[in-house]
Amino acid sequence: MQPAVELEELGRQITEASGFLEKGERALSQRIIGQHEVIRRVFIALLANGHILLEGVPGLAKTLIISTFAAAMNLKFQRIQFTPDMLPADLVGTMIYNPKEMEFYPRKGPVFANVILADEINRSPAKVQSALLEAMQECQVTIGSETFPLQRPFMVLATQNPIEHEGTYMLPEAQVDRFMMKVMVDYPTYDEELEIMLRSATTASEEPLKAVLQADDIFRARALIDRIYVDPRVQRYIVDLVVASRKPAQYGMVELEALIEYGASPRASIFLLLAAKAHAFMQHRPYITPEDVKAIAYDVLRHRIRPGYEAEADNIRPDDIIRQILQNVQVP
Amino acid sequence: MNARFKGTAAGHLNRLLFLLLPLFFLAAPAALRAAEGRVPPEITVTLTPDTLFVGDHLHCTIQVRHPKSEVVSLEGVERFMVEPFALISRKRTFSEESLGIGVESFQYELAVFGSGRLALPPFSVVFHNSKGELSGRVPYTPTASVFVQALTDSTMHELRPISPPVKPSIPLLLILPLVLAVLGAAGVVLLLVFFLKRTVMSAEKVDSGQVAQRKLRKLNSRLSAGMPPHECYEELSNIMRTFLENHYRIRALEAVTQEIERDLKKLGVAGFESIMNLLKQADLVKFADSRPDIDESRHSLQKAEEVIRSSRQPEG
Repeated sequence: MQPAVELEELGRQITEASGFLEKGERALSQRIIGQHEVIRRVFIALLANGHILLEGVPGLAKTLIISTFAAAMNLKFQRIQFTPDMLPADLVGTMIYNPKEMEFYPRKGPVFANVILADEINRSPAKVQSALLEAMQECQVTIGSETFPLQRPFMVLATQNPIEHEGTYMLPEAQVDRFMMKVMVDYPTYDEELEIMLRSATTASEEPLKAVLQADDIFRARALIDRIYVDPRVQRYIVDLVVASRKPAQYGMVELEALIEYGASPRASIFLLLAAKAHAFMQHRPYITPEDVKAIAYDVLRHRIRPGYEAEADNIRPDDIIRQILQNVQVP
Repeated sequence: MNARFKGTAAGHLNRLLFLLLPLFFLAAPAALRAAEGRVPPEITVTLTPDTLFVGDHLHCTIQVRHPKSEVVSLEGVERFMVEPFALISRKRTFSEESLGIGVESFQYELAVFGSGRLALPPFSVVFHNSKGELSGRVPYTPTASVFVQALTDSTMHELRPISPPVKPSIPLLLILPLVLAVLGAAGVVLLLVFFLKRTVMSAEKVDSGQVAQRKLRKLNSRLSAGMPPHECYEELSNIMRTFLENHYRIRALEAVTQEIERDLKKLGVAGFESIMNLLKQADLVKFADSRPDIDESRHSLQKAEEVIRSSRQPEG
């Protein structure tokens, strides 16, 4: 049995168009050992036109993943180190007075790039973090009274450290919600650690990475992703998952009701669908299944579900809540 | 003039004697009685306030009017310290009322515990002369009383007689067997329900494959009756998942095909590939808009029945 005829054709196109991903993954694996899931999530966010927040303890190659990813793409990359004394103008730019011509002209900030690495984003105050809101949501920046569109593709990859809280500013909910995914970066395995040690313990500097991805590849992939078939059953499954995070009792999870302060926003439904499509694209599949939804559910939902006091007292994390939801909402 | 003067003076003297004589007759008996210690003392007892609550303070004043030459003391006031009274403080004052008569005032501050109308306990007023010898003792029972209100609204002021226990109209010995019989019957019914439920449940458990086969046969007949083949796959997927959940005790209804594949692999289920093929076919129909023909559907149903039958064989 085969998919519908038009989907078969789409499947062929997807297989052809997704070749660049393998090239990209190969290029990244030259520099990064392990962290395959994190790399896949970065590609999903790129394909789905989303932004990504990487969280992990220091030294897990968060910054290296992003800088290598940017280097592998023939795109303009900017790394912005967020610091407590930073101002919004340092990020988006400001109006400068030209005494010769006696007028103000805009000086664009580092946000005017294709790939932005917002390193340690929680080290800057909320006003700086919020300066990214417009850029992330609308892909444009307003300096003074003038609005400038950003180059596409535009992607923000932010990192934050979960253990150091002194001198940090928690990301505002509105800011966090704009990230398509929050990916937890974990320690490498034993063998990966061994390989990292052997490969990195050298005094020689690494050769620059050759760019293997072009912006056109991404746009072509995005056009195909938009055509990926989503059955109404899967659409309802996505909405069921999101609604279950708000009203778990409706799905027979009465015990979760007290553990959730507030559930996922409608952005979660949008991003679940988009990310699931990108996931299906990476599997060379012209349609999405509940497997695609489940595969990216943790990353899309974990920063959108806020556990209540009871959950915090019992050390129940958003991932535990998502696990409960996934185990209880019936798959179509 | 001398005679005249003498006459006037005598007149004044007579007039003075005439005025003093009644006073002498009035004062002399009292002075005599006082000298002999026979003046009856006047004792007054006042209680303020006349109504109070339990625990409130009561001011009691005992005034004794007596000859000044005598010393007065009270006997039996220690009873003021006994329930329902408790002595808080006492004070004694003396004042001279008139010639040879004094008023001894004993003031007691009492806390009152109890309820209802309470009177002070009787006491005695004891008189001693200037030499310290006992000159008299007057027992006194106060008539003044105080009404003490209870803090709680209780109408019970006295112990009521304990009424004898009410005897049941039907003797207990007759009721007891009846109650035991009812309880026994209820127990038997509950046991029966329990065993019946257990039997039904175990029957269901044993027959999960049979149930699935019955459902598949029904689905097949519906397919023959004109059911669209693609609709049949959704039901086929549900039947298979329910069967897998009941038969292998895995979470299949809330799991995606990949998760089921992982679980069945772990269990080492025979006919694993056939089960997965069926589920993947159903997924194609459900999620990839695949439109199988009726023969394909029949073949899938037949395959599903075979898979279920083969999985039931080791149990039998």
